[in-house]
Amino acid sequence: MRILRRDFVRDGPGSAKLMAEDSDDLWFTYNLIAPGDSVMAVTSRKVLRERGNSKLSERLTLKLEVQVEEVNYDKDGGVLRILGTNILENEHVPLGAYHSLELVLKRRFLLRKKIWDSLAIDTLNQAKHHNSSSDLAVVLMQEGHAQIFLVGKSVGAPIETSIPNRKHAGYEAALKKFFENVVRAFVKHVDFNVVRCVVIASPGFTKDQFHRHLLLEAERRQLKPITENKSRILLVHANSGYRHSLGEVLSDPKVMKMIQDTKASKEVNALRDFFTMFEKDPYRACYGPKQVEFAHEQKAIQTLLITDELFKNSDVKERKKYVDFVESVKKLGGEAFIFSSMHVSGEQLAMHTGIAALLRFPLPGLDDVEM
Amino acid sequence: MPRKGFSNFDDYDDGFDDDYDYDVDVEEDEHEADEPKEEVVIAKRGLWRCAICTYDNDESMHVCDICGVIRHPVPGGNKTINNNTAPFKFDAPSPDDLVSNGLKSSRTGPKDSMKNKEKQDSAEHNQTSSQGRHDNVGVGGIQSFKSLPKAKADKSKETSSSSKNMEVSESLTSTMNNMSLTGETETSRDVKIRSAKSKSNHKPEEWMMLDKESDALSQLNLAIVGHVDSGKSTLSGRLLHLLGRISQKQMHKFEKEAKSQGKGSFAYAWALDESAEERERGITMTVAVAYFNSKRHHVVLLDSPGHKDFVPNMIAGATQADAAILVIDASIGAFEAGFDNLKGQTREHARVLRGFGVEQVIVAVNKMDIVGYSKERFELIKQHVGSFLHSCRFKESSLTWIPLSAMENQNLVSAPSESRLSSWYQGPCLLDAVDSVKSPDRDISKPLLMPICDVVRSSSGQVSACGKLEAGAVRSGSKVMVMPSGDQGTVKSLERDSQGCSIARAGDNVAIALQGIDANQVMAGGVLCHPDYPVSVATRLELMVLVLEGATPILLGSQLEFHVHHAKEAATVVKLVAMLDPKTGEATKKSPRCLTAKQSAMLEVSLQYPVCVETFSESRALGRVFLRSSGRTVAMGKVTRIIQDS
Repeated sequence: MRILRRDFVRDGPGSAKLMAEDSDDLWFTYNLIAPGDSVMAVTSRKVLRERGNSKLSERLTLKLEVQVEEVNYDKDGGVLRILGTNILENEHVPLGAYHSLELVLKRRFLLRKKIWDSLAIDTLNQAKHHNSSSDLAVVLMQEGHAQIFLVGKSVGAPIETSIPNRKHAGYEAALKKFFENVVRAFVKHVDFNVVRCVVIASPGFTKDQFHRHLLLEAERRQLKPITENKSRILLVHANSGYRHSLGEVLSDPKVMKMIQDTKASKEVNALRDFFTMFEKDPYRACYGPKQVEFAHEQKAIQTLLITDELFKNSDVKERKKYVDFVESVKKLGGEAFIFSSMHVSGEQLAMHTGIAALLRFPLPGLDDVEM
Repeated sequence: MPRKGFSNFDDYDDGFDDDYDYDVDVEEDEHEADEPKEEVVIAKRGLWRCAICTYDNDESMHVCDICGVIRHPVPGGNKTINNNTAPFKFDAPSPDDLVSNGLKSSRTGPKDSMKNKEKQDSAEHNQTSSQGRHDNVGVGGIQSFKSLPKAKADKSKETSSSSKNMEVSESLTSTMNNMSLTGETETSRDVKIRSAKSKSNHKPEEWMMLDKESDALSQLNLAIVGHVDSGKSTLSGRLLHLLGRISQKQMHKFEKEAKSQGKGSFAYAWALDESAEERERGITMTVAVAYFNSKRHHVVLLDSPGHKDFVPNMIAGATQADAAILVIDASIGAFEAGFDNLKGQTREHARVLRGFGVEQVIVAVNKMDIVGYSKERFELIKQHVGSFLHSCRFKESSLTWIPLSAMENQNLVSAPSESRLSSWYQGPCLLDAVDSVKSPDRDISKPLLMPICDVVRSSSGQVSACGKLEAGAVRSGSKVMVMPSGDQGTVKSLERDSQGCSIARAGDNVAIALQGIDANQVMAGGVLCHPDYPVSVATRLELMVLVLEGATPILLGSQLEFHVHHAKEAATVVKLVAMLDPKTGEATKKSPRCLTAKQSAMLEVSLQYPVCVETFSESRALGRVFLRSSGRTVAMGKVTRIIQDS
């Protein structure tokens, strides 16, 4: 994300002029903009002009500032839609008229907020330093089902093909068809210029079979990027082909090495530590808003895991509550990880209520706190 | 009827000792007041469809041509007025009730009449509130003589005095049943409505009954399980060869090919591992099915993979098993590795077997030749494995211990010739042990249920569904329905052990060639059933499970792999209902934070895609579930409630 101008006070009002450079930036923007803020950008609008008797409707390009009421993110289309009322004096659009602003990549916009809380500032900083090159692509598969991920977030639709039992005729053909579908998705989403390494993961031997097929196809169809980069393809064992096994794949030491300092790896590790703690010492881990709050009151939180979705979905009061939460955890010397719900780890955390914590010391009292 | 033979045993009671009381349950099951099924008839071209055998009779007929059942039930004095509540208790009573009543609460009333097979003559087209289900010919009419269109939940009129019928006040109060719509008479067959079936009204026809004279052997489905490389496939291959199921010529061929690939010792295993992949890697990947006959049984051998990654396939195989052979590699180091809690499969397989309610297990201690047929080694293994199996609630009396060597053909089909073995072992050989296994009673009289293990498509476009019938019977011409799609078709032919057969009954493992069904609608994991008694399809289930030893904690939101009969799906835990006391089944803590190993609990899962499933009390085969995660089986149990039909 390009920050063209910053003009705000911490925990106070202000504005920032931004430009999203990739889809992750749009996601950050989606997290930044909340109802009550205002966004100014160049947009187009159909305007009705009356000239004498005839009514002409024209599409005009103009600059509008919209008081935000609703924000929608269309992931597949790569568009952020901001719905609100116009607050900029304008000859074509009356004040108070509803307008839907579309923010796309490479379009500048000005965001005005009443309060730039620590979370918003954090998000902005993260967006600024965010390195968009996804170093790692993972093809997670099992017989008949596959999904491609780019450092933790899925790309494209999952690939499903029905494959009959191994022993029967038609198995080979169905398997081949499945592999062809996966190759197609592979070629579409894996760009070796961007991706440093590709991991193919599956239970059993599906990965080896697919690998063999991929290389043969690449030879046959002269798919240079694949043939030249075959040394960058890693085969890793997975326990299943379902999404939730991705975390395990990313935790594999071979793969960990590749994604070491990325945010994704930090998230994966934090989540894995959480599960391990639950296993080893169940009273030193908790999840669910009430339980985490209880733990916080006891000043017991060492590490806080929270999804950005929680901030997104809550009203102003709740959001403030969570922001304060994060801040106070940090103040007490703890760590806070804000998981992006665009990534699989964030999705996984969201399934477990979206908020979890590792504690400094065991809290048997957790049993009495309702979930 | 108890599924697995021994009547007085708790079926699956790993820590669920008394609460399940399966057998008592099951007895009640038979007499259960399933809602009288609604009769669906065709109002087209003057045909009416017999509710029992689904044969289309001419209007002029008053009695069904095939099964002789009277078309219109004669309303008579209903002797069995009985306000039975619906056996399908979808509006769940609290878990405490469910468990402490052993799911018996709903099963009351004079149900003895139900089981009466002799009374085939009287009318019992029980009419119930509507279902709106139509067979493939039907165009819509639910005949008017059908029951009074009361509110959909209401049960219908009484039927004949043959006392088979109970007036069941169907309290279908759950939302799911609200979907079974009275109003919708023209439902498309794709709707998977929960039909109000009265299984008790399903009268098995004469042809279904086992003709004792013609076939003295009973069906036995035997699964062979055990840690990888314990010698399962080799043992199976040897057995088949010795019993003449594999010709000498074929055996030579296997030997030659195996040797040429440098895998001479796998020659026998190749009889079962047919695919190139399996042969190349020297392992079994999917369950291989083979047939042979012992003195008392037609045995279907299910050779399962032992490799950790293929446990899901092994589960799909074990679901068909009536009994099992647990193969153990006796050689030094191998037994220990296989028996290891984390890395070995011996324990996991044994637990899965128990989860399936298998009680009779033959423990085959293989590769005795490598340890010199040592008695000490055998006893050591027996002691360790024995105490483990005992902790899994296998009864000592239903376990048989057989030392053998598949490679050297010792103690397989005849007494050992090797003196080192015969000097201390005088017990039965493997084949004798197989013979002494009791074949369980079969639910032949229940409506057809066959989980589809496999789908074969021939080049001519012919679709065949393979699997083991869990209930009911079929023959050529029978109408069947494929779930979850709801497509209907007819049986073209049946094949068992590569030979055509005319009738297949519960317990038989067959390939059913189907006619009139879109091949894409038939999938492994689906279920073939009687058109009038469709199996439930759901995405949200309530389960009662036992969390296994060594499992990682299960949290709210945990994602697991869900296995039921031959189907598997990704599942998310959406609610941890309660932790249960393993002895009493009472809820000890509602809404726990997490479930840890060795706990019994009630929880709710939501599946990614719908599966065909029944509550355990409805159907054992379709109600047993396994939850896996991170490459291990973490919990197993049963379906207590279907929360939401899809």
